[in-house]
Amino acid sequence: MTPSPRKLRFAYMDHWRIDGPQGYVSPYTSVKLLDGFVKQIAALGFEGLETFDFHLDVLTDLFGSLPNARQFLQERGIDRIVSLFHAVIFKNGMSQPHERATHDFLFNNAHRVVKSCAGLGVLNLVVMPAGQYHDVEPVTDERLRACADLWSRIGKMTLDYGIRLCCHHEFYCGIHHAHELRKFYEWSDPRYVFWYCDTAQHTIAGVDAVDLYMQLHERCAGFHLKDTHHVDRVGDYRQRPESEVTAKTTPRWFWEMGTPEGLVNFPALFAAMKEYQYEGWVGVEHDKADIGGGNYPASTAIAAWYIRNVLQKIYA
Amino acid sequence: MREQNISAAGPIKWGYAFNQWKVGWQGFARVDDNVRALKVTSACGFRNVELTAGTGPWDPLGRPENIALNFGSVRKFAAGLADWGIDRFTGILLDPTQLSFEEGHFGLRTTRRADHAVIAQQAAVFARFLSEIAGDYLVLQPLPPYWQEGALTPDALRAAAELINAVGAANAALGLKTYLHLDALSALRTTAQLDELLELCPAPHVGLALDTAELTIAGHDVVAFYRRYHERVGHLHFKDALATDTLSEYQLPHADRAMLLAGGQREIPRWFGELGTGLVDFKALVRALRELDYRGWVIIESDKGPQPVASSVMLNSWYLQHELQPLLMPPITAG
Repeated sequence: MTPSPRKLRFAYMDHWRIDGPQGYVSPYTSVKLLDGFVKQIAALGFEGLETFDFHLDVLTDLFGSLPNARQFLQERGIDRIVSLFHAVIFKNGMSQPHERATHDFLFNNAHRVVKSCAGLGVLNLVVMPAGQYHDVEPVTDERLRACADLWSRIGKMTLDYGIRLCCHHEFYCGIHHAHELRKFYEWSDPRYVFWYCDTAQHTIAGVDAVDLYMQLHERCAGFHLKDTHHVDRVGDYRQRPESEVTAKTTPRWFWEMGTPEGLVNFPALFAAMKEYQYEGWVGVEHDKADIGGGNYPASTAIAAWYIRNVLQKIYA
Repeated sequence: MREQNISAAGPIKWGYAFNQWKVGWQGFARVDDNVRALKVTSACGFRNVELTAGTGPWDPLGRPENIALNFGSVRKFAAGLADWGIDRFTGILLDPTQLSFEEGHFGLRTTRRADHAVIAQQAAVFARFLSEIAGDYLVLQPLPPYWQEGALTPDALRAAAELINAVGAANAALGLKTYLHLDALSALRTTAQLDELLELCPAPHVGLALDTAELTIAGHDVVAFYRRYHERVGHLHFKDALATDTLSEYQLPHADRAMLLAGGQREIPRWFGELGTGLVDFKALVRALRELDYRGWVIIESDKGPQPVASSVMLNSWYLQHELQPLLMPPITAG
């Protein structure tokens, strides 16, 4: 693929589900469905995809090998899988970053994933760096140091595979508040632990994503650009058993860029990216865009529209 | 973002239709839904849009009166298109057989001289709107459907030609072309009938709008059709056809419902499809357009597809960018 001369290239983090004769199915159900999905993303001008690590086996099933899968993408205008989201099952006593006794298990899991993804062009392994807040609290300094040590260890390993370990903080992540974020990034090794800026997640948590980018710009390896209409002012982030889908206060947390009610200041973020000369991939994401009658294709197109007509005029 | 290079600057100018979004009388009735649909169209690389003549209070962009009501004035509306990533509206498709609240009828026929005055009046409303927003053309359904009209008599054809010539002349006075759009249900079935119609409407400001799916469903080879009529084809609608009307079900009573929506005897689930998914040889057609120096709009359409509509626009955009545009390289310079 001809390299782009622009400083920014855009990738799409996929959550799509497709409404078919048998109801909602994943685009990864078949080559035909994946073909339609990839073409729609590429048509809008995205050049990369981001996906979950649990799709690695399916891609091998569908195409015979991951290099074949990448070729399939490239033939349709998508260069690579830019980022792989490592979907850790956080379980007390087995796999919790704040519990040092579980670190070997988590390390081995991450190692298996980075070994398995060769051939897709993956640049980033994205993780939620702590379990759900209600499992982690009280979020003590010792627990934050344990998280920092784990991901520094894993990040050193992933670099051997040319992959950066990137921490992505859902609003219900055990590393949630501004002071917790500050400590985590202070105590983790900047050579090995990077930050993935999810604009909506931080905003919901009451953290200004633009201000955070200005603080952590040197650690920033990528973005999930999405918006929200809500700040969690009542402690949804601590709700058991989970905080997002079953929140009693908020049926839909995430929106595409460009809605009038959106809270993230994307123009300011792009101005900051320009100031600090961020160069590389920028991810766009839609999480559960079909709640309340929306649909993924239209949300994706609206986000692409916003990039071309608003953000790229600030920094490209 | 990667450049999409869908241009309206060359001899072949690419645009997208807007008819696919409206479902039912009261669907797609909100201004913000229409604006969002325009943004989706723009995001897919199409900055030029062809509208469909609408009616009633639930069609914000369907009538100039509604546009003035919703946006302040037609001029203000046109001045704000760039905010949505749209350069302009290219033209409007008008079907006189459709109900009009504003003109107060349940559908009119070009083949009935008694209907001509109202059809001309209705066409003039849209023509004035187009001239105010720098549009290029009016696309007109020139004949009623077979299931309404029956077999076309010579006098009916002459009557239709009279109306077409009158509307064409009025449009030309406003700087607009008039293109005749034949569809799969039309009472005009044969090339002999078409030859006669074109002979009766010789003016250079009246031409043909070649709809690839409609003509394919009706049994035509659109590449051969274009080669035969290329001197009169001034406009194209690109959409694919997933089946042909082999049972001549255009003759069914209310074929618009019985054949198109219900699928006819074979229960065809879908007649129109995204480019490259059906029977139309778009690559051969584009090569022919280039060979015969076609200069004008090609409007891509999504018609009666499954939800979400955005998917269809996005898939058509991909096909244009990756399968058709390479056939136009190196680009021919305009003029």
